[in-house]
Amino acid sequence: MFFEKLKKAFDNNRKHFRDSGKLKSMYPLFVALEAFFFTSENVTKDQPHVRDSIDLKRFMSFVVIALLPTFFFGIYNAGFQSNLVSGLSLGFWAAFSKGLIIVLPLVLVSYSVGFFWEILFASIRKHNISEGFLVTGLLFPMTLPPTVPLWQAALGISFGVVIGKEIFGGTGRNLLNPALTGRAFLFFAYPAKMTGNSVWTVVSKLKDQTVDIVSGATPLALTALAGTNEKIEVLLAQKGYGFFRLFTGIYPGSIGETSAMLCIAGAVFLMVTGVASYRIILGGVIGVLSTGYLLNMVAGESSAAWFSLNPFYHLVMGGFAFGISFMATDPVSAPGMENVKWVYGFAIGVLTVLIRVFNPAFAEGVMMAILFMNLFSPLLDYVEIKLRLKKRIPNV
Amino acid sequence: MLTKKYTDIRGYMLLLDIKKGFDINIEGSPLPELAKLKEPASVAFLPEIIPYVKPKLLVAQGDRVRIGSTLFIDKRNPDIKFLSPGCGKIEKITFGPRRVIKEIIIKLDSNEEYVGFDINKFSENKKFNREDIIQSMMNGGLWPFIRELPFRDIASPDFIPHALIVTIGNKEPFQPDPRVYLKEEIDLFEKGVFILKNLAKNLYIYASKDFINLDMKNKLVTHRYSGSYPADDPGVLMHHIRKDPSENRAWYINGQDVLLVGSFFSTGRYPVKRTVALAGSLANKRVHLKTRIGVPVNDLIEGRIADGNMARLIAGGIFRGYAASKESFLGLYETSVSVIPEGGKSELFGFLRAGYEKPSYSKTFLSYFNPFPLQADCGMHGEERACVNCGACAQVCPVDILPQFAFKSIVAADIEEALSHGMLDCVECGLCSYVCTSKIDLCGFLKKAKQEYYKDKA
Repeated sequence: MFFEKLKKAFDNNRKHFRDSGKLKSMYPLFVALEAFFFTSENVTKDQPHVRDSIDLKRFMSFVVIALLPTFFFGIYNAGFQSNLVSGLSLGFWAAFSKGLIIVLPLVLVSYSVGFFWEILFASIRKHNISEGFLVTGLLFPMTLPPTVPLWQAALGISFGVVIGKEIFGGTGRNLLNPALTGRAFLFFAYPAKMTGNSVWTVVSKLKDQTVDIVSGATPLALTALAGTNEKIEVLLAQKGYGFFRLFTGIYPGSIGETSAMLCIAGAVFLMVTGVASYRIILGGVIGVLSTGYLLNMVAGESSAAWFSLNPFYHLVMGGFAFGISFMATDPVSAPGMENVKWVYGFAIGVLTVLIRVFNPAFAEGVMMAILFMNLFSPLLDYVEIKLRLKKRIPNV
Repeated sequence: MLTKKYTDIRGYMLLLDIKKGFDINIEGSPLPELAKLKEPASVAFLPEIIPYVKPKLLVAQGDRVRIGSTLFIDKRNPDIKFLSPGCGKIEKITFGPRRVIKEIIIKLDSNEEYVGFDINKFSENKKFNREDIIQSMMNGGLWPFIRELPFRDIASPDFIPHALIVTIGNKEPFQPDPRVYLKEEIDLFEKGVFILKNLAKNLYIYASKDFINLDMKNKLVTHRYSGSYPADDPGVLMHHIRKDPSENRAWYINGQDVLLVGSFFSTGRYPVKRTVALAGSLANKRVHLKTRIGVPVNDLIEGRIADGNMARLIAGGIFRGYAASKESFLGLYETSVSVIPEGGKSELFGFLRAGYEKPSYSKTFLSYFNPFPLQADCGMHGEERACVNCGACAQVCPVDILPQFAFKSIVAADIEEALSHGMLDCVECGLCSYVCTSKIDLCGFLKKAKQEYYKDKA
């Protein structure tokens, strides 16, 4: 019933959006909406007569599905941290509903502002809206601190979509991951709202209440307090951040990044279904661990505490798990060739650790590492293709 | 990856383990049964679908022709003749846009007469002169069955290729089973092979590793393949065994056409026998039919398919065939009719369904675990989008082209770059278009660029 009614509604209103209709300029929106509900009725015209059942919508939906556990956990955690410092109820529903109040506006702003740009460009360029934005629109708010003002989120997603993607020609032609581009823009344009110890937790102010600032610091920020002879692991444990807690993710941080456990679950889902490249993810993990161990080996008496950190801590702290699972594997901004995907992932891992260790002022390394390697992926592709074509017996 | 793996079995045969390609899990393969089709009332020749040919008509509507009378010649080489597959009156010649000759329809007499060809030179069992064979094959209308890689045009007779490949395979859904069309015809096949051996430096016979014919001489098959569609393609064979660019211009002939060659050199008549497979999920009798060249499609499907309105009739396989109608005829090269659903029904929230019965190369549907053959239809299952570099096309390409990069250089009109990617090695199997997540017709880009390059060169 619903099926037929909805179908009819689309068929009846189509004329308003076609060539002579009043809402002609909104045709891409109409098509996108229709395609969201109904599968395409197009059939092949010529050989090959059959086509695979997969389409880009399903491909991108799988990334969204993989993100959902992390997303819901992020909502819960944002609420939990907020209630914790505000001295409110820590029950599941209290925390979750608080989290919804914090996170949902960000997601709505991200999707609505992003879609505005998508529709604008699609209307001007007269092409269809690509499903890639389904992912970008959800990824972007998940990389933000929960306290970020909505106008900054709107500005960030605008920058990500327009400068990160549309000026290059839209989905499939961008060099950089649009969600990360947006985040990097906010990071440098509004550092006060993106870094520091007070941005990671939404504080519901009650009168005459003081808030312990340190309890609002992220584990990565805490490590800056460690002296040369101190062990970061011990310091973190003193503050209550044991390895297990870092792994599960109940600690302050960007909305989606804290739970390495759920990021791994999402990554496994994407690797098994073939949507994300296992080469990039495993390459990244190997990169982090090998660099971590290498630094352990060169660590001396007087070197900074970061050198002797157990490399597995790098995997669970900060945004690495989130970045390597969902950002680095974006097929558009990653290399297309299979072998250099290992190099690409590996280099992201190495750079993440190096930035964390050698630039403590710059606590989060993974964002810069991914953006940096995004720039190198065309070169990596070029090298592998050249090598591969050299082996080929020419046919001209 | 340029994976090359040979296993030399008993010293005379090479087994190629083709790693790439894809077998779509599709319902509707023809049963290995052979039935005889009643004589059609008319047959036709379809010049339009023979690639590159520039036909010059030698007959007109109302003319009487015999089996083996010349219908038209190729203006590019007037020695290449196309002969009438029937005896009777030319009922109609239909033209398409720009005077393209679509069909030459011949209403058959009840008693058909043949044009006789002189084959006395070939009566003894000795080594024959190459020129004589080519001359006879051209006069006998058999030359168009030999085609040349990489452009798949009719072979140019003044070139001596490194190899002539006889392909005995049915990897594409749906093609006639060689065990069926070769059954009891091995004498003709061996006769054909005996003649064809003289045309090239080497004669390769390329069959599946499971192909067994007890009557066939043991050593006849030279190369065997294991792997998915299109492992049986001559272009795939040459891609894996060539050692030098000079081997690129290999010739090939379909196994069933070798029977025609054998028949011609045994009887001196233009042979018209064909074994056609009728298959696909909407065919309720999936059989092999013994019939003739140019048979009307309607004769093949009448009473054998479920619902004609919902079906797409494909002359040839589902990847390379052309869309036919009830009123059309089978072309010179086509040996099957595949009948599959037209599809295109819309589905609510189709992109989120589990899809236990949706065939796919990707692992995003539960059909990955479905062992039963599935019904594939002609729906696009999505709209065209920009390439997101997912790389599925490169994973299936049987000749190691990187379609996602090659097609971009074609779009950017950088043909040199596309050539270095191996554009001419493309076997036009259609798999890259099939698997494409963004529904880009990659194979169409490659095919068109190849054709244009060839026309520029000529």
